[in-house]
Amino acid sequence: MWQYIARRFTYMVFTVWIISLITFAVIQLPPGDYVTTIVSQMINSGMEDLPPDFEQQIREQYGLDQPMVVQYYKWLRNIIVDGKFGYSFVYRKDAKDIILERLPVSFAISGFSVLFIWAVALPIGIYSAVKQYSLADYLVTFIGFIGLAVPSFLFALVLMFFSYKYMDRAMIGLFSREYETAPWSLNKFLDLVKHLGIPVIIIGTAGTAGLIRTMRANLLDELNKPYVDTARSKGLSERALLWKYPVRHALNPFISTVGWILPSLIAGELIVSVVLNLPTSGPVIYNSLLTQDMYVAAGAILILSSMTVIGTFISDLLLAWLDPRVRLH
Amino acid sequence: MTEPLLEVSDLKIHFFTDEGVVKAVEGVDLVIERGKTLCLVGESGCGKSVASRAFMQIIRKPGKIVSGQMLFRRKSDDGTEEIIDLAKMDPKGYPIRQIRGKEISMIFQEPMTSLSLMHTVGHQITEMIRLHTDTTPTEAKVSAIKMLQRVGIPRPERLIDEYPFRLSGGMRQRVMIAMAMSCNPTMLIADEPTTALDVTTQAQILDLMLELQHDYGMALLFITHDLGVVAEIADDVAVMYLGRIVERGDADTVFNEPKHPYTQALLRSIPKIAMQRDELEPIKGMVPSPFRRPTGCQFHPRCAQRFNLCNQVEPANTHLNENHSVRCLLYEDAEARTSNAEAAAHG
Amino acid sequence: MDVTLKEQVFEQSSSSGSNAPVAETEEERRLEVATQWQLMWWKFRKHRLAMFSTGILFTYYFVAIFAEFFAPWTRTQYIAEYVYVPPQPIHFFDDGKFDPYVKGLTFERDPRSFKKIWTIDQKSKIEIGLFVKGSEYKIGLHWLPIPYINNLFFTTDRHLIGAKDPTQPMYLMGADKSGRDIFSRLVYSTRISLSVGLVGVALSLTLGISLGGLSGLFGGWIDNIIQRLIEVVMSVPDLPIMLAIAAAVPLDWPIERVYFIITIIIALRSWTGLARVVRGKFLSLREDDFILASRLDGASQGRLIFRHMLPSFYSHIIASLTLALPHMILAETALSFLGLGLRPPAVSWGVMLQDTQKVAVIALYPWLLWPAAAVILVVLAFNFLGDGLRDAADPY
Ligand SMILES: Nc1ncnc2c1ncn2[C@@H]1O[C@H](COP(=O)(O)OP(=O)(O)OP(=O)(O)O)[C@@H](O)[C@H]1O
Ligand SMILES: [Mg+2]
Repeated sequence: MWQYIARRFTYMVFTVWIISLITFAVIQLPPGDYVTTIVSQMINSGMEDLPPDFEQQIREQYGLDQPMVVQYYKWLRNIIVDGKFGYSFVYRKDAKDIILERLPVSFAISGFSVLFIWAVALPIGIYSAVKQYSLADYLVTFIGFIGLAVPSFLFALVLMFFSYKYMDRAMIGLFSREYETAPWSLNKFLDLVKHLGIPVIIIGTAGTAGLIRTMRANLLDELNKPYVDTARSKGLSERALLWKYPVRHALNPFISTVGWILPSLIAGELIVSVVLNLPTSGPVIYNSLLTQDMYVAAGAILILSSMTVIGTFISDLLLAWLDPRVRLH
Repeated sequence: MTEPLLEVSDLKIHFFTDEGVVKAVEGVDLVIERGKTLCLVGESGCGKSVASRAFMQIIRKPGKIVSGQMLFRRKSDDGTEEIIDLAKMDPKGYPIRQIRGKEISMIFQEPMTSLSLMHTVGHQITEMIRLHTDTTPTEAKVSAIKMLQRVGIPRPERLIDEYPFRLSGGMRQRVMIAMAMSCNPTMLIADEPTTALDVTTQAQILDLMLELQHDYGMALLFITHDLGVVAEIADDVAVMYLGRIVERGDADTVFNEPKHPYTQALLRSIPKIAMQRDELEPIKGMVPSPFRRPTGCQFHPRCAQRFNLCNQVEPANTHLNENHSVRCLLYEDAEARTSNAEAAAHG
Repeated sequence: MDVTLKEQVFEQSSSSGSNAPVAETEEERRLEVATQWQLMWWKFRKHRLAMFSTGILFTYYFVAIFAEFFAPWTRTQYIAEYVYVPPQPIHFFDDGKFDPYVKGLTFERDPRSFKKIWTIDQKSKIEIGLFVKGSEYKIGLHWLPIPYINNLFFTTDRHLIGAKDPTQPMYLMGADKSGRDIFSRLVYSTRISLSVGLVGVALSLTLGISLGGLSGLFGGWIDNIIQRLIEVVMSVPDLPIMLAIAAAVPLDWPIERVYFIITIIIALRSWTGLARVVRGKFLSLREDDFILASRLDGASQGRLIFRHMLPSFYSHIIASLTLALPHMILAETALSFLGLGLRPPAVSWGVMLQDTQKVAVIALYPWLLWPAAAVILVVLAFNFLGDGLRDAADPY
């Protein structure tokens, strides 16, 4: 058990490290020298009174005149030790503040989407498997296919069209007006939860469809296993038997699928937020990439990705807790 | 003296698959006596498992009992006897669940997969005990431990909290037996309980089952390929071929005077030299596909003693004496044969 | 009598086959393989939606190849005047006679912006026909960037459908912000959107088979490293990173180069699933008896892989590919939709959808969403097809 957790933990750290490398590469991607870009952007945007050694300061802080390895080290050190993600010349403050402002909303949306997906996929998947080839099963399968085929941003577009046409527009925002700019508080959070419905459905639909299929297939597999016959031959009722044995077994792969749900949720959240203009980290990443505000983009990508990996790690722990085979080996 | 417990007549089970109807069991007649051992033998795929599952109404999905009777005599505590037709029972209903586990229980072929790997051994046994008796969890646990001890598991109080994936195949099969016996059933079905085990374990498990039968006095339906085992344990023998019982009788008679050519071929296929147990394999020719059943006697394409009528007339059950019957035209008298042939020609 | 039984039965079973037992097994195996494909086909045929989807996909690809013929307009053609013209649906019957036409257009000026607002003119009638004369174009494989093959074309001016009088407007699905025909652009974008999928799949197939194959064939530390790599790639949220790479593509690159870099980016994220399938198959096949047997025969590794291993999982590969294709198509659409993928003048469904990013635009000109319908239909069709193939490939 501990060995398993230790191994998973190592993988997690390793993956996060790889991600940090990739993100660092992202910062290097735009052509040209970062500092020159910053300075010229600042001057363009009317900040002419820069201190004369401003360029030099920045170069030192990030080690820009030193080899790549040192730059990477300094960047990572700034993040881990000082919690500084780098300077955003668009927002004119440290990227950290911008990211932290938006992240809670991203997490709320992703978290609720996971809950939504589970809450919907589990019962429907079970029903669909138990009533295999029934009308309801065909219907669920068909709708599931459509759910999988419609990418979340198109779904968002279509919903937006209908909401614009037939309802008032309020359903699209994430906060009531009075909370829009207010600092975080319990009430603001509750207000957020109230508005989450539509985005969560949009983002969660594809995942739900996928998970229903997984659950159905797993359960169909399990329903034909000999241990089910054994349980039946004991005299258990069909319902008690179903929940106790095959569903329990089918749950394992179900939980480990969190691993692939999370990245696609993050992707969905990102693009849907851009479409619906939600105040999450999605539009921040998007806009900072467009304006080549690389420290913000890199910071947000690093945090989001790390969170995904940590989420996967948590699902591994959950698996260990649920499955004695994992736990005891 | 003999007291029938389960009388099966004309049992037919068909699987309604997309590709067509598979007639897995096409007329099985059997009697299982109280406290006796009946061995069901036959080649792989002849329908032994399907037939025996029918006795508990646990046939897998596209399968249905299409006709037949399975009369089970249930003794209640006050000694009165009640006759129940298992074939008429709803497989999902409450009445059959009162039979399963309590009156009839079953040990399956695959010890590796017949237990849930996600639940402890104790959990799986006590669940059954609590289902059929009025006991507290602690009492159930105590009797589970007793049962585990009875089937020869060392230190049962520790094993009871183990998960089955940590046990060897032999151990798991012992657990299965303990579970099946935990409610003291009147009949135990053992579907090739030793096939998946190594030879020494096979012998141990077999001895254990005989011992338990002796102690608890339940009827045993033992399904096997192994004629050596049959010779050792059977009171009665039923030989199955393509969904039909082709010969049945008490073990002595069947072994010493086999009548059906199939039984004769089966018996020849065990090496006579040693007590070495071999799979019975060497009857030549393939078992026909269940979709393409031969006409007339099902065995005729492989039969050495076939004659002109065999591919036209379906043999009826011929009673040679009180407890020996066979389905083969060789033993039907000439009159019956011709009338059967005429019936076939007309129908 | 004992002996006779055995001999007779034996004679019977052997007389039907050939007398050399080895040849018999060889033949049996071939027969088995043939019937396996046949069985798969039978099974697949029963999957109605998959059959239907196959038809749809054939149509899509046919249109993609001969887009110039199906599109009433050429790709760059526009009439600046006809901005945001609403769709003019085809009417097939006029006075009970078969005489297809579309209704004409009329406009009024927006009192504030003085822009023309087009509506359908219920009174006027524009006759349309099949195989009408239009602007001249090349039809064939001229658009493939492969020398010699791209000489396979001829020139014509016949279009499948169009207004009989070419000066009259015929916007079957409406017009976009610069007066271009949405229908024609949709037809053209089929070519790019679908080919991104194909090229991407070819790339990820190469990656997936080679890495998955290495992993499954050799096992040990190679397998371990590749598995870790796959795990990392799978757990990294791909979209932000794809966006980052795509955003770094210089604006002045030519279309073809952008096309390839985008395809590579997309392929980089989808080889992992395939690699896992391949690895799993190799692992299970390594245990298979006949592989073992041919290894004992001294068959060379290469022969072994291609004669025995690959054929037995073609079906799985094909099914996985069919399921990977729609992901690629969607990825390209998403990237281009966000303005980080293909750029105009290249035209793909995602590029067309860029215009719909603002809710006000969709609300006024919902016909701009037609490309979304095209995407959804093709993705659905691929999913059904893949499902049918997988069902057919899997006996259980
Ligand atoms: N789920 C099913 N669907 C279709 N046909 C089935 C199904 N289960 C069993 N059968 C058919 O029933 C026949 C008998 O199967 P059964 O399992 O009873 O054989 P068996 O005598 O127990 O063989 P073995 O000795 O190998 O256990 C088989 O030939 C098979 O074709
Ligand atoms: Mg069996």
